Amino acid sequence: MELYKYLPQTNCKKCGKPTCMSFALELLQGKVKISDCTPLIEEVKYKEKYEALKELLGGEGGKEKQLHIEIDEDLCDGCGICVTACPVNARYCPPTLSGKAPDVPHDKHQLFEVKDGKCVLLNLEHCRRLEAGGRERECRVCEIYCPREAIEIIYI
Amino acid sequence: MAMERIPCTGCSLLCDDVLIGTDGIFIDKIYGACLKGKERFNQPIAENRLTSPMIRKNGKLENVSWDVALEKIKQILANSSRPLLYGFSTSSCEAQLKGIKLAKKINGFIDSNSIICQGKVLNVAKEIGMTLTTLAEVINKTDLIILWGSNAAASIPRLLNKILFSRGKFRMTGREIKTIIIIDPVKTASFGVMQLRDVALHIEHGKDLELIRVLKEECCKKDSVLEKSVAGIDKEELNRLLLNLVGAENGVIFVGQGILRTHSDDNIIKELLELVQLINSRQEKGRMSLALLGGHYNMIGFEQVALSITGKNHSLQFSDNNLIETKDTIINKIEKDDFDCSIIVGTDPISHFPFSLSKNMASKPIICIDNRKSATSDIADVILPSAITGIECEGLAYRFDHVPMQLKKVLDPPSGIPTDEEVLNQIIQKLDVS
Amino acid sequence: MPMKMIVNIVRMVDHDQAKEFAFGDEKSLKENLGIGFINPSDFEKLGLVKSLRIKLSNSFGDIIIEQEQDENVPEGTVLMPVSIWSNQITGVEKDEIQYKNIEVEVEATRDPVPEYKDLILKIKEK
Repeated sequence: MELYKYLPQTNCKKCGKPTCMSFALELLQGKVKISDCTPLIEEVKYKEKYEALKELLGGEGGKEKQLHIEIDEDLCDGCGICVTACPVNARYCPPTLSGKAPDVPHDKHQLFEVKDGKCVLLNLEHCRRLEAGGRERECRVCEIYCPREAIEIIYI
Repeated sequence: MAMERIPCTGCSLLCDDVLIGTDGIFIDKIYGACLKGKERFNQPIAENRLTSPMIRKNGKLENVSWDVALEKIKQILANSSRPLLYGFSTSSCEAQLKGIKLAKKINGFIDSNSIICQGKVLNVAKEIGMTLTTLAEVINKTDLIILWGSNAAASIPRLLNKILFSRGKFRMTGREIKTIIIIDPVKTASFGVMQLRDVALHIEHGKDLELIRVLKEECCKKDSVLEKSVAGIDKEELNRLLLNLVGAENGVIFVGQGILRTHSDDNIIKELLELVQLINSRQEKGRMSLALLGGHYNMIGFEQVALSITGKNHSLQFSDNNLIETKDTIINKIEKDDFDCSIIVGTDPISHFPFSLSKNMASKPIICIDNRKSATSDIADVILPSAITGIECEGLAYRFDHVPMQLKKVLDPPSGIPTDEEVLNQIIQKLDVS
Repeated sequence: MPMKMIVNIVRMVDHDQAKEFAFGDEKSLKENLGIGFINPSDFEKLGLVKSLRIKLSNSFGDIIIEQEQDENVPEGTVLMPVSIWSNQITGVEKDEIQYKNIEVEVEATRDPVPEYKDLILKIKEK
């Protein structure tokens, strides 16, 4: 409920939702945009909160920041934890369920694969951070579990 | 080009899911293998590949023909009454069998790398028994994984991927349902996979025995709560460890070098096995088992082969073509200088053994059978090249959990280079011709 | 001033000999295997600077290696990869090779790390 803190918390209903709390929930799920909350943009006293909120949501509303998953090739040792742990891989590549390497050629949804002892990012567009809704959008599994800390999720 | 799943011989995990694409001459696509596996698959074309038999003449290694090298070996063995055979942990079981046959023929002493790794565990297990588990069971059933003195993320890179992150039959949610406990004095890379629920125990150096004894005592009590810290571990962490140990449905302890090599006596292994038995006997619904982690891919294989044909899992001494009782191991054999030549197969003792032992070895003739240059081949007197098992020839190998796996052949070996098994066979045949 | 420390000999994927030998030469072997990891606080206690090396010595022998700081290593410990460099300070005790908990005295030094060739020659000389 981090987002709620940055809303006006006046329950003005200008966004069409009954309370600021429900607006925050739908914001998290990606159903509404920050710009739908008009007081936040128009009133000067909320300016700080607006900026903070934009930062938090990765710059939605204004200029979109792009999601990047960066893999440090020097650190990676090809253990394949990201390949197995990634929920998208698990859904579309059955071998990864039992910790095995996915089939080659890869599925079009597959995110990671290990090639020549190094992890490679295949298609970012199917990442949960872009496609899923709700809490799943917060997914950071690959970054958290990489034992060598070679993966970084960043917005540029 | 077809991709094929073949077992990887990079380490003792023997991943059977690595995808290899080849045009018959090179391996040009490697998917799914870790760095160690990739290096292994690149070995056929590596710069340090041995391609020709060599003999040391006036201090320099010279390429010679097979016949000349075999003649030289025959000469060395003819002058030797106490030869040593060492290695075999990167050869197939067939080659290991031939190795034992050769040792029997020349009345040698044969030992494998397991003597400096987990070999003594099986010895102790003979007396009091041991609960082992298999990788498939760990994937499908285990909910508690304990890494004790092992940095799996660096030594067996894909182990954590397979055991901790996989989603098994009875553990469908994968990582969320599995708890990992790491006991290690150093904060290694393996600690990176931990969550809030997991327990990280930074034990003091050499205090493992103390911890095992406390655990043994506490496991017997009902609802036991520890009041003081042990071996440098906080009491709250210890209580969480205890709770996990007695509460797990299916736990497995991965025993690494940290616990095996820290204590030079067998007591620690005995107490560890007893701890596992104690937990099993007191637990109603679950069970605890052990898995031994080693480096070389077929170390267990030698123990299995030796055990099945001689009843002893390592350190076999032959005399008058028969096995005789001995308490010696390769280490005190070399230390006492109780040998007169050594045959090293597929390993690098000069890089593993202390300097004093290396010096003793170097003072006697060394015959090295390997596919790559190493510190050992650099001081050897005769070198015979061999094919790479698992890439250039088939064979049987045992995984770390004592499950046999059939290795496959992907490429042809460079022309004229026989397998380990054939090399040993040629030596045996050469000795037969008088 | 020599300091008493404990050496643990380990295998690390970056320093593994299998990997090193695959495309390594004598120089890269020395860089990757003739190295020890110590805690930053030990680094200060020993009065080290980056360009200095450390000399480990005990009853079995002595060896000079490069040092690198790593805060994950506990205080009073040196981590070393298995190699002919680390073999200089290991020995046999109770018929077992010691790889862990080896007591050594550590001091800073300006001398260079011995070359692979020299160590091989040292083994071979009578």
